[in-house]
Amino acid sequence: MTAVVLDGIVLGLQMGLLGVGLTLVYGLGGVLNLAHGQFAVFAAIVIARLLDADLSLWVAIPAGLVCAALLGLVIDLSLMRPVYRLRGEDRVLLGLLLMLGVGTIIDGLLEWRYPIEALSIRVPGGPVSVLGVPMRRGGLVGSAMALTAGAALFGFFRFSTFGRATRSVIQDEDGARLCGVNPGTVRTTIFVLSGILAGLVGISRSMTAPIEVTSGVGLTITALIVAVVGGLGSVSGAFLAGVLLGIVSTVSAFYIGSYITTIVLLATAALTIVFRPSGLLGHRP
Amino acid sequence: MSEIVESARSKTSLVRDYGPIVLAAALLALVPLAFHDSPSKMTVIIGGLLFCAYAIGFNVIFGSTGQLFLCTGALAGIGGFSAAIVNDRTGVPMLLAIAIGGLLAALVGGLLSWIAVSRSLDTIFTGVVTLAFSLSFENFVLGRKDLTGGETGIRIEAASETILDDQVAPYYIFLGLVVVYLVLYRVIQRSQMGWAFKALRDDEVAAELAGVDVTRYRVYAGIIGSAMLGVAGAVFAFHRGFIGPTTYAFGDVDVSVLVMLVFGGIGSLLGPVVGAVVFTILDEALVDFARLREMLYGIVIVVLFLGFRRGLIPSLESVRSKRRDRSEG
Amino acid sequence: MADDLLRISSLCAGYLGEDVVHDVDLSIAAGEAVAVIGSNGAGKTTLFKAICGMSAPSAGTVTFDGTNIAGLGAHQVVRAGIAYVPAERHLFPSMTVRDNLALGAYPKRPEPKQLDFVFELFPRLKERSSQHAGTMSGGEQQMVAVGRAIMSNPRLLMLDEPTTGLSPLLASEAYKALAELRADGLTILVAEQQVPLALELADRGYVLDHGRVQLTGTSDELADDPEVRRAYLGVA
Repeated sequence: MTAVVLDGIVLGLQMGLLGVGLTLVYGLGGVLNLAHGQFAVFAAIVIARLLDADLSLWVAIPAGLVCAALLGLVIDLSLMRPVYRLRGEDRVLLGLLLMLGVGTIIDGLLEWRYPIEALSIRVPGGPVSVLGVPMRRGGLVGSAMALTAGAALFGFFRFSTFGRATRSVIQDEDGARLCGVNPGTVRTTIFVLSGILAGLVGISRSMTAPIEVTSGVGLTITALIVAVVGGLGSVSGAFLAGVLLGIVSTVSAFYIGSYITTIVLLATAALTIVFRPSGLLGHRP
Repeated sequence: MSEIVESARSKTSLVRDYGPIVLAAALLALVPLAFHDSPSKMTVIIGGLLFCAYAIGFNVIFGSTGQLFLCTGALAGIGGFSAAIVNDRTGVPMLLAIAIGGLLAALVGGLLSWIAVSRSLDTIFTGVVTLAFSLSFENFVLGRKDLTGGETGIRIEAASETILDDQVAPYYIFLGLVVVYLVLYRVIQRSQMGWAFKALRDDEVAAELAGVDVTRYRVYAGIIGSAMLGVAGAVFAFHRGFIGPTTYAFGDVDVSVLVMLVFGGIGSLLGPVVGAVVFTILDEALVDFARLREMLYGIVIVVLFLGFRRGLIPSLESVRSKRRDRSEG
Repeated sequence: MADDLLRISSLCAGYLGEDVVHDVDLSIAAGEAVAVIGSNGAGKTTLFKAICGMSAPSAGTVTFDGTNIAGLGAHQVVRAGIAYVPAERHLFPSMTVRDNLALGAYPKRPEPKQLDFVFELFPRLKERSSQHAGTMSGGEQQMVAVGRAIMSNPRLLMLDEPTTGLSPLLASEAYKALAELRADGLTILVAEQQVPLALELADRGYVLDHGRVQLTGTSDELADDPEVRRAYLGVA
């Protein structure tokens, strides 16, 4: 049982890291980034290509993250401009549809150019004993990355001036403008940050399971479930939801098995919306 | 005298209301003349009509009452799988099986709609809940091999050597389905319920103040649209003779239907038809590009949504009415 | 008057292409307190939003300290030195009072001196500094809103109906705080329906009706004007 729960935590931290990028972008401007998982795959495939070209991991990883950040920047400065000019449901709908299109483009591009490429980072060394359970080193390093990223985000939002400004836009956009915060700048920065976070998932996840060119849609859906359960817009909520869902997922896979596990996760998201739409830690105006 | 004027007026409005349907049906009826000896082309075209039917059903739910149901495929799949299974296991005749399929889809769709309305979920949340339902349905289809055949799917023999076999006759059956759906859509639009739908879309608060029972009409729309989807899915199952996990999958159905409808124009009568025709042609044109196709499809989605945000039909209509304003003013 | 801090000429503004405010001229010198009085729907909020960049004026100029700021975004106007407290306050409900105040100083880090100044003006905020703004009473929220505006160290403070939702006692307390700020040399422009309070604070006033300036004069002149007395002061 301990082993199953520990596996769940390892998986859950990855899920949390995945959900947090999606939740931030949605919280800031109502854009549901349905290409979030594809961002992760994009970064992973860039890294895989560079590794194929015999570059060292220490060059490939930063390069992959930079590419994911640039992708975010380009999309924010081009496609998201007309989206943010709209208000209310129109904005939500156009943002969602455009990002769906972007996701399809990334999927199509990668499947066309590099159909069999995949990233799988092998962490050397044998299993490490945690609470008496032998754990794979890759999973632990991935978890450490997710925890570090989570802590850095938490510090950023709690203590930095720009982090505080980001929270202010999520809570009251007009109020933020009156304080001298430019919501456009905040949104661009956070979109880029969410690209980097997606790239990080691509790296850390590949330490336990390979990231393939077709992994994008699945990752996006996981991100969506995590973000909803955690409360759209909530950073700590995304991590909490990620870990809980990760545990639910491994426990259910161990005791019930196969396809029911996915249905359990999906049902959790649906039931959260129906009975607690603000999620675990989210707040709704 | 006034009676004559009255009946003349109702005749012109009848022409205005149902003329476009007749025209569209007449044009679509000519299609097999060009392609009847190419089975592969007919397969594609029948697929186009199926998606047109899906898009009309989705339009009743999303276009009329703004409920973003991301489970078009799953509702059609409930119709398709239940009709096929009921027919196979109990020997219920095909038509009755199709009706059962439609009924089950209507029940599930109505339930989803009732949940969305009674918990007052907004667009995004309705979308996520129905998406979760879609994906659960897919996993169910894959997992319950005993019922659905899992990855291999199930064969349906009931329709072999009936009118649903072959290519040209089924084309007209699907065309008939599309016409019936369009007429149904128009009748709803012109009824008391349609007026309520319009009021809802324009201003929910005002509609509520005016005594429109928001909950009831949303759920009605959910039931009717889902029944349309279920019946279309069931008819297709019998025609194709085979259904599998991808027949009704989210990635294969919902994305296309949403794109078609938004392109053609959400909430317009012929929007689904125009969207289905354009995207069927586009899909066929891209077929030679094989792996490149998905990427090009994505580019088309992005470009179309940036260019025709309100949909083709409403855009054209607003251009036309502007021109009319100018000539009158 | 070359030394006007803010001068508005021929300003028109509204929503969705429909002007609500027509041809408004208004000026305020450094150190002055000016009131814009008028009933509900007179166009006070529309005028203020157009000045502070929450919406773009459709015509006219807004000159602040010699530069035209009409059409700038709200965040640019704040950085130019105009702080605006809207009637709805627009606080950040799930942030502490301290964080709300700190954001007022954005993009700079809050200066301890400025924070002390706010806490001196509203001692209650110091006691409640780690409480979430959304859980506070209306009067306390108004204090946070004013405090947040002052944190940007503005040269002009604009307030839209600062007494909205406050009891008469709290309303007069709010104006007491404004009077202290004014005594400190801050320039204040306030829109108000509670005319007696506003005229007591202000040196001069403008009467806005149907989106036009109907009358202007010193506070004493306005308080003595028979029209104003009848319409806003409830005196026959």
